Amino acid sequence: MRRSKNTALAGISVVAALLLAACSQGGSDTTAPAADEGTVTDTTAAKPAPFDAGLVKIAIVQNSGAGDYFQQWTNGAKQQAEAIGFDVQIYDAQADNAKQATDMETAIGSGVAGIIVDHGQKDTMCPLIKQATDAGIPVVVYDVAISDCAPDAVQTQQSDASLAQAVLEQMAKDLGKDQKVGYVNVLGIAPLDRRHVVWEEIVKANNWTQSFFVGKFTNAVATDNAQLVDAALKANPDVTGIFAPYDELTKGTVSAIEQNNLQGSIKAYGIDISNADIEIMTKEGSPWAATAGTDPNAIGAAVVRNMALELAGQLGVKSVDFPGVLITAAFLKENAIKNMVDLRAALPSLNLAEVSAADWIPAVKF
Amino acid sequence: MSTAKLSNLANYDLRQFTVKYGFIVVTVVLFLWFALTEPSFRMESTLFSMLKFTSVVAITGLGVTMTMVVGGLDLSVGSIAGLSVTLSAMTMVIYAQTGAVALIVVLLGGALVGLFNAFLIVVLKIPDLLATLATMFTIMGLKLVPVDGQSVSSGLILRDGSVAPGKFTPGFLLIDRAYIGPVPLPVAIFFGLAFFVWFFLTRTRWGRVMYAIGSNPEAARLAGVRVKRYRALAYIMSGVFASIGGLILSSRIGQGDISAGNSLLLDAVAVSLVGTSVLGMARPNAWGTILGAVLIGIVITGLTIKGFPYYAQDVVKGLVLLTALIFSFTLSRRKTKFVPAV
Repeated sequence: MRRSKNTALAGISVVAALLLAACSQGGSDTTAPAADEGTVTDTTAAKPAPFDAGLVKIAIVQNSGAGDYFQQWTNGAKQQAEAIGFDVQIYDAQADNAKQATDMETAIGSGVAGIIVDHGQKDTMCPLIKQATDAGIPVVVYDVAISDCAPDAVQTQQSDASLAQAVLEQMAKDLGKDQKVGYVNVLGIAPLDRRHVVWEEIVKANNWTQSFFVGKFTNAVATDNAQLVDAALKANPDVTGIFAPYDELTKGTVSAIEQNNLQGSIKAYGIDISNADIEIMTKEGSPWAATAGTDPNAIGAAVVRNMALELAGQLGVKSVDFPGVLITAAFLKENAIKNMVDLRAALPSLNLAEVSAADWIPAVKF
Repeated sequence: MSTAKLSNLANYDLRQFTVKYGFIVVTVVLFLWFALTEPSFRMESTLFSMLKFTSVVAITGLGVTMTMVVGGLDLSVGSIAGLSVTLSAMTMVIYAQTGAVALIVVLLGGALVGLFNAFLIVVLKIPDLLATLATMFTIMGLKLVPVDGQSVSSGLILRDGSVAPGKFTPGFLLIDRAYIGPVPLPVAIFFGLAFFVWFFLTRTRWGRVMYAIGSNPEAARLAGVRVKRYRALAYIMSGVFASIGGLILSSRIGQGDISAGNSLLLDAVAVSLVGTSVLGMARPNAWGTILGAVLIGIVITGLTIKGFPYYAQDVVKGLVLLTALIFSFTLSRRKTKFVPAV
């Protein structure tokens, strides 16, 4: 009797632990839209070496979080890679920084012609990126601040200063001076740190009072941050605006505002744009007033083009910025924009097909 | 192993052979397949990075193995490793102490959590799984309190508005990044600890007593063994091993990543369970755990190089574990005894 009871208990707790672990793995959105198909432009010149001799093997070492931003980024990168003639090996650490480090080591050891590092922690990835460039493997990095410790790698990023500037100017215009505001961010992640700098300037310039500052990076960012913002709002229901400079953080913020039924008095401002974001922004009564973005598909593709240029010896620079565009909920509603396809049509500046282009590279346009 | 394959091995007790060597055969076959078809898999650097990747899971798994030997199971190992990452980062970044101090703080932290587990299990008589499950949650939350839920890296802005004075010391970063000859230091630590656990469990009186407790605690008690002390020792060792795994993780990441260690629990428990079946011993053992960890390392690295998507890895890990359990419970003639029943 005693034994069977204990075995049952043991079974329950193992199942509980397994379920927990399973939950922490995913939290992925099941409503993820089908991947966007790009159109490929024609080339007017012959491919240079090494692309003239068949497929070139490269690795993408990424550290994705939840949400469709990363899916789109990878989609753009994959399609561009295929168009150019890359054989791509994708390693995805899924918010596990230690795994990204070992992935990078595996990639370095696997004899690829080049490595693209997409997101990740500077302290973790920098020594490894240096190890790769020292070993003569070209590295193109997206959104990891590495220039000071791995000067030979090519650093690419969406221009976070321009993104934050665009959306925060809109926020200042909407709210006015001397307001109480909330802030949701995670410091220590390069793009978020760069946005943080602009935030501090704008807060000072407008004499805002920062009532709360919460945020954490997990592999279920939106859900986990909704809880944090919810708690912060219980204590500070009188803020008039919240800046959450990464769309998963913004999603969490939006749902916390709605849970507290404060959408009438609080506006949310984010950064990044995706199909899911558009849906939330255009929903009736949504507190998400504005965002600034680039098209993650276009960015992924542009990063791969940079790798192609670097391998062909034609890049010539070590830092490439992809400019961002302001997108307000009002603009989305006026133009009846429902998804990224509509948005790209209404805002052609989102498409980066002219960035990092060359006459021998078939650029993928979304 | 398919039945067709088994029938080729005539004149031998096939079932026994499968149970005993099945896993090793599978490991070797997979290894050869990857090595022959993927030139990059053959490279020394790939093999060492694979072992390096395995070292954290294997070391933590060795701790879990100790608790399985005394008939328990430690579910808190992942959270202890995570705690170690935060503790080491706090010691160096916030309190600007040396790497050596961080190392001592982390090991003490691991031992303390192990002691706490032991207290819950031995003194308060809470079943092992439930006690360590509670510890897991407590530690996962507790480690976030002093750092306000933020990852700790140099330049962190503290609660009082000042900037954290310290950084990860170069010496501490060597734990994961140094080499002894061609061998990465974490791999050396991993083999050192494996040897230690093997020696302790099979060549010392204490180890044999632990196995005795695992197979029949009542008999052991009647034979005059101080069962409580040994069980406490197993959990303390498990805590220390998990914190060593955490040290390597921390050094690898180079900052106080708050999500570190989250995925470690399942992997560590899985390799210990796989290890139980590897040599047909039907009991937890050090080399089995190591082989289990290396097998999973080979499979993951090989499949990644072959271009299987990352989500296939969990499926494969699950199948490996399932196969191991079938070997242990279904095929083995020995009565398998390692599921905690208090």
